[in-house]
Amino acid sequence: MKKLFTIIALFLLTVSVTIAQDSPYQKAMKKEIAKVIETDSIPELQQSANAFARIAEMNAKEWQPLYYQALAYTFQGLNRSLTLDKKDEALAKAEELIKKADAISPNNSEIVALQGFIIMGKVNADPSSRGQSMSGQVMATYGKALGIDNKNPRALALMAQMEYGMAQFFGSGSEKACKLAKQSQEIFAGQNKETLKAAMLPTWGKSMAESLLKKCE
Amino acid sequence: MRAFLTSLLLTLSIITSAQTLISGKVTDQKGISIPGANVYIKGTYDGTSSDAEGNFALNTDNTGKQILVIQSIGYKSVENNINCAGQPLTSNVSLSESINLLTAVTITAGAMEASDEKKAVVLKPIDIVTTSGAMGDITAAFLTLPGTSTVGNDGRLFVRGGDASETSIFIDGLQVGNAFGSTASNVPTRTRFSPNLFKGSFFSTGGYSAEFGQALSSALALNTLDMPLRSQGDLSIMSVGGGYTQTLVGKKSALTASANYFNLAPYQGLVKQKFDWEKAPSGWDTEISVKQKWGKAGFIKGYLHTEGGGMTIWQKVAGQDGRGQRFELNNRYSYGNFSFRQAGKNNWFFNGGVAFSHNRDAFNLDYTPIRQINQVVHSKIVAVKDFTPQFALKNGLEWYVKSYSEALLNDHKKRSMTDHQLNHFIEATYYFSNRLIAVAGLRSGYSTLARQYWLDPRFSIAYKMNQGQFSIAAGKFNQLPDEKLRVLQKNLQNTEAIHYILNYFLANNNRTFRAESFYKVYNNLVTYTGTTLDPKNLAETGSGYARGFDFFYRDKKTFKATDFWVTYSFVDSKRKFATYEIKVQPSFAPKHNGSVVIKHFVSALKSQLGTSWSWNSGYTFNNPNLPGEMQGKTKMYSDLSVSWSYLPRPNVILHAACSNVLGRANVFGYKYASQPDETGTFASSSVGQGAKRFVFIGLFITLSKDKNANQLNNL
Repeated sequence: MKKLFTIIALFLLTVSVTIAQDSPYQKAMKKEIAKVIETDSIPELQQSANAFARIAEMNAKEWQPLYYQALAYTFQGLNRSLTLDKKDEALAKAEELIKKADAISPNNSEIVALQGFIIMGKVNADPSSRGQSMSGQVMATYGKALGIDNKNPRALALMAQMEYGMAQFFGSGSEKACKLAKQSQEIFAGQNKETLKAAMLPTWGKSMAESLLKKCE
Repeated sequence: MRAFLTSLLLTLSIITSAQTLISGKVTDQKGISIPGANVYIKGTYDGTSSDAEGNFALNTDNTGKQILVIQSIGYKSVENNINCAGQPLTSNVSLSESINLLTAVTITAGAMEASDEKKAVVLKPIDIVTTSGAMGDITAAFLTLPGTSTVGNDGRLFVRGGDASETSIFIDGLQVGNAFGSTASNVPTRTRFSPNLFKGSFFSTGGYSAEFGQALSSALALNTLDMPLRSQGDLSIMSVGGGYTQTLVGKKSALTASANYFNLAPYQGLVKQKFDWEKAPSGWDTEISVKQKWGKAGFIKGYLHTEGGGMTIWQKVAGQDGRGQRFELNNRYSYGNFSFRQAGKNNWFFNGGVAFSHNRDAFNLDYTPIRQINQVVHSKIVAVKDFTPQFALKNGLEWYVKSYSEALLNDHKKRSMTDHQLNHFIEATYYFSNRLIAVAGLRSGYSTLARQYWLDPRFSIAYKMNQGQFSIAAGKFNQLPDEKLRVLQKNLQNTEAIHYILNYFLANNNRTFRAESFYKVYNNLVTYTGTTLDPKNLAETGSGYARGFDFFYRDKKTFKATDFWVTYSFVDSKRKFATYEIKVQPSFAPKHNGSVVIKHFVSALKSQLGTSWSWNSGYTFNNPNLPGEMQGKTKMYSDLSVSWSYLPRPNVILHAACSNVLGRANVFGYKYASQPDETGTFASSSVGQGAKRFVFIGLFITLSKDKNANQLNNL
């Protein structure tokens, strides 16, 4: 009987702990975060964006819902199947959202890195007319993100990509880009993904660093 | 135990039956389904997205009165009251479009914008510096656009049959007095400001906003950069001089200081000149610019530019032997600009500032010293209120002080004028939809010197189709005559122009096509007898017209790594003004004008190669040996320029350019003797180029922590 009580007590404890750990906010977030970083499909990304919009409205003081909503729009803006106008529309929305996230959580390396990624998306949408004038801005924004946290693997991977493009353009060596990608990959490898996921912190970008490293080899 | 289970089941079934299914379809106002719309119950996590057909289905445990929200980008959100009582609900929603400034129609009549952000643009800011033949001069790049005429012996902007004084230049909305460098007659000048100060520009060849006044033909609005990207030093070493610019960037503020020097003497020593220089043009300038972020959206900018320079040239007098007339010029110029912009609450936006310019030309005409001083103070405050996303109202107040004095120093003779002008403008913008926009404005002004009050109505409308858009613009434009005339007769009233413009614009897939036709009527132009230097019997009985059409085509797609544009402008203009007794085609309005600009990037050479060709059908001139006025016409004008920018490293640029590579001897007109010779004919001499070609070589190095930074903006 005593044993049964212990079991029940333990069970109840676990239940209550689980409940305490995962509020409806966290539950909803974790479910959607898993989706947004897995998909390339425009309708699914739009569904994610919508879900994050709903969560953001319920949790106006959190930066993550806005961040992931912006990310969902950024991924849309990078989709090659869309017209320039549609890409710009998605990226403009992403920019508006990340600005709000920045106001909630200023000097956040992840937010600044995404800001840079959005500008890079704009350059990608129309490289011939935006490349010359906006690449500097992309670099500067990634630089700012790394200035806040030089171990941000996404900022490193994105910067590596930019450096790689520059090196190709000028026909110079890609050592710097590869070094950044290597750094990024090592940080990704050293991170405990589950801990980050539990804290709803970004985990995406590993494949970006890896595919760049392949080009380096 | 059994009773407990039964009650548990009952409770569960009640909970289950309390779930409400809401389904429906989201469409736009034409009934076309909207996929990906966000549908949710306000204040809950219950929500879904519409599918590819616009259908949605949503289960909710919430009961009672709820609000169903439907949102989609590009549409206005809708909130519907629903009652959740376990019964399935159907809610079909049609969303009306919201105004999307990113893709909505814009007014393109008369306007040519250079911007990185906007869509309906013909140029990117970088084009201004990478256009071959422009040699880093802002306005020279605009001369490759439709509606302009190249007047090679002047260098300023001539727009659609208007003379150079009919174009006003603004920096951050504030007027710049004497924006072009002082020069001798028939020696071309250039703008005083470096293109790397600006992030974008708005060049209008007519029909422009009520915000701009005192310009009969054209307004050029230049917008300065906000925050520079990084702290850096920029060094330039050129065949005609050099300079250094240091930029320091903080979190919320930035400081840029620069100093430059040029001297054409060494170059002219190497390359044979046609002009008879006693002292080649030389000059220096220094600049300081300060930028400060103000709150979340505001900005404060300060800018100070000061420069000095001079030249001495001998110009042949037709029918006389010897070197001719000696002209010595010493110029000092300062321009200061302080501006702000800020967003207020409830969709109010404010901007404004004060600018002043001071220009002093001290010249010796055959050793007779003359001094001319121009001053312009312009202050302005503008308030914009967005009442709804469709409707905005702009209100502005401006105050100008313009003064001018000229003195014959030996004779202790001096005359001067000071004019105060107060202006108000109001402009309403209304979007009927994303496809249709109308703008109506009214500008009023009063001049204390002319004692005249005036009203300028302006109107424009644009309609976007599936392919391209049409816009029309019309308006009245007033401008007080040149200070050099007003100082002689202070009560001179406004000259006046009326514009009508029809424009078609299509930008698609890195190709841009623009066609425009225009009609412009001039009234109250100043006429006089005597010469331009010594006018007599001033009156305002002149009038005229300019009509024509122009085309612009730009293509970045057809040829790989190549960007080119082609323009053609036809201008039919006649006017009675200055010393003309009848309506004649003015010398600065060639009938046919064209240009071709090509930029080609060669990755293997790490180089951008550029060429530009500018052409017109010839300038009219007055030949006193023939009856009538302005009966002569020069041969056609043609100039082929090439440039080469080499980027060996991201932070180093080597730039070489050559104008008129074919060495064509262009003639811009003829000067005639004031008296006939023994045979009864007036002797003549041609007005031509200072040299066959101009060759420029420059090395630009950027020093910063970021090794990829370069000075592409300085070329």
